[in-house]
Amino acid sequence: MPCSVQQHPDMSSDTGTRLQPFLEELDQLVTQARAAFSAAASDEQLEAARVEYLGARQGRFKTVQKQLGGIAPGDKKTAGQRLNQVKQQIHQALEEARAARAGQVVRQRDPQFDCSLPGTPRRIGRLHPITRTIDELKDIMGRLGFTPADGPEVEDPWHNFEALNIPLIHPARDPLDNFYLSVAGKQAGLESGLLLRSQTSTVQIRVMENTPPPVRIISLGRVYRPDTADATHYPMFHQMEGLLVDREVTLADLKTVLQLFATNYLGENVPIRIRPSFFPFTEPSVEADYFWNDRWVEFGGAGMVDPNVLEAVGYDPESVSGFAFGLGVERLCMIRHGITDIRYLFTNDVRFLRQF
Amino acid sequence: MLVSQDWLAQYTDLPDREQMTDRLTMSGLNFEGQQLVGDDCQIDLEVTSNRSDCLGHIGVAREISVLFDCGLRVPEIELKETGAPVNQACQVVIESADLCYRFTARLIRGVRVGPSPDWLVQRLATVGVESVNNIVDVSNYVMLECGQPLHTFDCDRLQDGQIVVRGPRDGETLQAINHTTYRLESGMCVIADGQRAVGLGGVMGGADTEVTDQTRNILVEAAWFNPLAIRNTARRLNLHSPASFRFERTIDPERIDWASRRCCQLIQQVAGGELAAGLIDVGRQPEPREQIRFRHARIGRVLGIGIPASESRRILGQLGFIITDSDEDGLTVQPPSWRRDVTREIDLVEEVGRIHGYHHVPDDVPVRMAATVRSHADRVVERIRHCLSASGLDEAMTASLVPEKWSQTFSPWTDSPPLQSSQPMLGVLERASHNTGPVQWLRRSVVPSLLEVFRINDHKQNQDINLFEMARVYLPEGDQLPREPQVLAIVCEYPFEQLKGIIESLLGYVAPRARLDTRHCDLELLDLTRSAGLLVDGQPFGWMGKVADPAREAFSIRREPCVAEVDVQRLVDLAVATVTHEEVSPYPAITREFNFVVNESVRWMDLATTVRENGGPCVESVSYRETFRDPQRDGPDMKRVLLAVVLRSSSQTLTREQAEQASTAIVTSCRESHGARLLG
Repeated sequence: MPCSVQQHPDMSSDTGTRLQPFLEELDQLVTQARAAFSAAASDEQLEAARVEYLGARQGRFKTVQKQLGGIAPGDKKTAGQRLNQVKQQIHQALEEARAARAGQVVRQRDPQFDCSLPGTPRRIGRLHPITRTIDELKDIMGRLGFTPADGPEVEDPWHNFEALNIPLIHPARDPLDNFYLSVAGKQAGLESGLLLRSQTSTVQIRVMENTPPPVRIISLGRVYRPDTADATHYPMFHQMEGLLVDREVTLADLKTVLQLFATNYLGENVPIRIRPSFFPFTEPSVEADYFWNDRWVEFGGAGMVDPNVLEAVGYDPESVSGFAFGLGVERLCMIRHGITDIRYLFTNDVRFLRQF
Repeated sequence: MLVSQDWLAQYTDLPDREQMTDRLTMSGLNFEGQQLVGDDCQIDLEVTSNRSDCLGHIGVAREISVLFDCGLRVPEIELKETGAPVNQACQVVIESADLCYRFTARLIRGVRVGPSPDWLVQRLATVGVESVNNIVDVSNYVMLECGQPLHTFDCDRLQDGQIVVRGPRDGETLQAINHTTYRLESGMCVIADGQRAVGLGGVMGGADTEVTDQTRNILVEAAWFNPLAIRNTARRLNLHSPASFRFERTIDPERIDWASRRCCQLIQQVAGGELAAGLIDVGRQPEPREQIRFRHARIGRVLGIGIPASESRRILGQLGFIITDSDEDGLTVQPPSWRRDVTREIDLVEEVGRIHGYHHVPDDVPVRMAATVRSHADRVVERIRHCLSASGLDEAMTASLVPEKWSQTFSPWTDSPPLQSSQPMLGVLERASHNTGPVQWLRRSVVPSLLEVFRINDHKQNQDINLFEMARVYLPEGDQLPREPQVLAIVCEYPFEQLKGIIESLLGYVAPRARLDTRHCDLELLDLTRSAGLLVDGQPFGWMGKVADPAREAFSIRREPCVAEVDVQRLVDLAVATVTHEEVSPYPAITREFNFVVNESVRWMDLATTVRENGGPCVESVSYRETFRDPQRDGPDMKRVLLAVVLRSSSQTLTREQAEQASTAIVTSCRESHGARLLG
């Protein structure tokens, strides 16, 4: 088979310096010069390296440059361009090494400077753990579609009892179980009427009296019951009450919302259960528990709004239904933060407050 | 409610204990614990106040029988009434029909009082009741069996064989069987004989007529008392008994006689004797229960699950509801006498639901979406909290009730006397070192509470006691609901100027357009030389100042705190919800300083206002630098106020001439308005 020989550029001359080895040598020269410059530990060493590579007579660059004359005329342009490029690169490496050496000279440590000394303090105050808990509850319930509502802490018997299906004979109205108030000369007691609310359900009534369904609220605030303060009781505490009234609301909606709440507040995989209980303002009434540290922990009362309550605020129990639930804020806060005595929350020792 | 496992087994075939207590918990009788007593097991179940039917073993057994569909055996009673009629020996009159609805009595003659048989002692021991004698033990046994309390009298000790149910006479007392003497008060139900009180109806019997070893003839009382009267009596005397506990929650008025007969049957069984013929039964009979319509469709509407009609029917039937009518849509039922809590369809839905089990209710249904809004007030309050915490203040939270002494200390918002609660909060100020008196008044200011918090921290040598609280105060409005404005109160170790700076920063952060002003303030709590009334846009906003020495002493405070209290609603009203952007000037500013000599009476606010209003449109800011006094050069009652004015135009670079023009206007106006002399 006939062979057409194509000439390789390197083969263009068999007497002069070949192009390819020349270029390779240039590449090596750059690499070696860079290494030598950056390895120099002092100005003297750097100067020695400069002479070695860029010395005007004996420098290695000079030596390689001399070979240019032997390159075949056809390759001279390529070789020349590359030679200039390499010269620039080596000079640049030298400048960089010099700049680095110059910087090091100025950067001396100050023996008097102690970077571990404290900065000028800017104290940031802390929000009370109950406030933080309430903010989080509002946040979670907000994402579940519940809007905060507010109402008075001093209440009349209609909103605290009657409208909530708690008749006069009910034990919950006992003077010993409530903070009744003396008003304008009248002695405190059942007659004078006013009292500190014993639950935030009062807000439900006030909202429903003034709003046609659907209603979807939470009320958060202080409530009062005459327990003697001890590690687990305080005569004042906070409650979060949720209420949803709409068409076709069922116990399954309640259980779902409570489960979503538990997942949000306590974390994934915290199961809840509901079991029958008794409250005058809900029917059926349930107690909700969550499973925590291998046992069921009560987290609040709940239920379907009693038809009597719906009627008391002028709703038709045949066309709307609803659920309500109430959770103790202190208990959620204490479990969350491992607080062992509820009185710490209200003693306000700043060493306690500043942990949050 | 403590129950015995063996005792329950008399009435139904019990399933495995753990399975049983689990299902009881999930159907409304929360399992609270158990312990072995001999060969038996004591089980503690929580009974809610509506379920008085479960305050006896039969009631609990009925629940189990329905949950496990395993049948219920209620004892049949046959009595031989062979003695002379009871009404020959005894008469009963109810004078107070409002306290006692119904009173029944049976008589057994010739009993032998003595120790109880072993089975009876053991039954009672399992549930923690000590054996007394065979008669008392039987009455306790029957109460624990069916929930109806009974009382046994020594009939021979009743004067004239008379029982009168009435209110107490003046000064009347009773020695109860616990050998404590009680003073009887109006509203209490007295069981008396012809002469004296022999028992407190529904609460406890009297010592004089109790059954003793000598007793031969026994009168068995089974009655129905007004629950509210029983509760009030037990509370007032602090005398709570198993009987009062049950009467308070209402008993089954139709099964009173069953309990009486059961008691007589067992007394005869363990103590012999002859039962008198007949029964004394005075008072009113219970009204028949009303029928309730139950629609199957309501189950789904309320519970969100389907339960077969046949299952609803089984549950209600086994719980004792009499099904009087039934069609495709539902049932008509008459509730059993022991379920006074069930009166409406919704109650039946709960009955069916709780027995079927709420574990069937799903917890992953799609819940409707709803947009929520955060109120303007809520957002403002959050901004206030963040601003204060950035100012280095920690948030405190204190009780709404305070001692009278504190309430009197500081009431800047009202002159009306504080609302007083019927009872004090107990234990909330236990750690206060000084005697504060009862915590019984609704606070009209949060400041005294914060001073107590300051004291606590002061005495613990805590550092940087800088605190705020946002809470309501309670301002009486006659017999109407009080006003409950939210206030922000601060107590801090910062000096007056720094606290004022925090309030100014707060206002600038929340309500940048509002203008803060001050006036003199003579509140007794505060140091007259370092206090101020605060106004915003000319309206009252609050107070602040250094706590006066007498007040510090009253609160045992060693350090020198400053306090403030302001109306949060004013901040909410003035807060800028959405800021509108204003173009900033790209041109350079020129700062001019002025050193004015003015009379001491010239207030900074007035001077600054004059500067701002007269310096022309290019006045960007007026800031205070310092005050200096040199009476020898400037004369008495004079001060030098150094202030700086930044001038900047929004349309051009200010020229020297324009700046001079503004300066001249400022100097002239300050001279004319305040007699200010400019120092060279």
